[in-house]
Amino acid sequence: MYNKINIKAFGMIAEKLGNTALEWDACEDTDGLRKELEARFPDLKEMKYSIAINKTLIVGNVRLPEQAEVALLPPFSGG
Amino acid sequence: MSEKKRTPKNIFVSGAISPEKIAQSIANHSSKTDIGGHSIFLGQVRADQKEGGSVVAIDYTAYEEMALEKAFEIREAIFAKYPLTCMHIYHSLGEVKVGEICLFVFTSSKHRRAAMDACDELVERIKAELPVWGKEILDSDGHVWKVNT
Repeated sequence: MYNKINIKAFGMIAEKLGNTALEWDACEDTDGLRKELEARFPDLKEMKYSIAINKTLIVGNVRLPEQAEVALLPPFSGG
Repeated sequence: MSEKKRTPKNIFVSGAISPEKIAQSIANHSSKTDIGGHSIFLGQVRADQKEGGSVVAIDYTAYEEMALEKAFEIREAIFAKYPLTCMHIYHSLGEVKVGEICLFVFTSSKHRRAAMDACDELVERIKAELPVWGKEILDSDGHVWKVNT
């Protein structure tokens, strides 16, 4: 198992994290990842965001595949 | 031409979408004489009043690779659902000032209904499903994040 994952952050989430990219210790699944992220960035707890793995939005808790491209997406506001 | 395999297209335009680009896009269809109706939606940046000031521009960012994949998926679904001749989607990235155009959706069909319904559905899906974010820049130098209603 790879011991790091790369996380992309967008919009208001990137602003709260102070970065558009994060290197993070690998997690088993997305629930675990949310928990760890929210521990380090408490502001995230108050925010609504979705997670995409390899450019697809996930629903519920999903196991993180190796070398996954993980993205934190606040509510979309295009147009 | 409609039998040709469609591949993802870039929908993003840097900055505002110019009225000249829109005019040219309309003109480009004059040779497609099976078209009987076009439907066009233009999104314009509005000078909303916010708590911290009034909006002077929107700075758009996107998860571009995902947005292009999603736009392609939406495009295919709309082509499958309506008898369209043509479909074009352009969305701004970066700064667009109030009064300028940030979204251009253009559908064409033999008869008007398909073009109109497809255009409507496209705009709704683009706003709901594309990973794009608008940061509303205020005249106070502050900003707020746009919320789609």
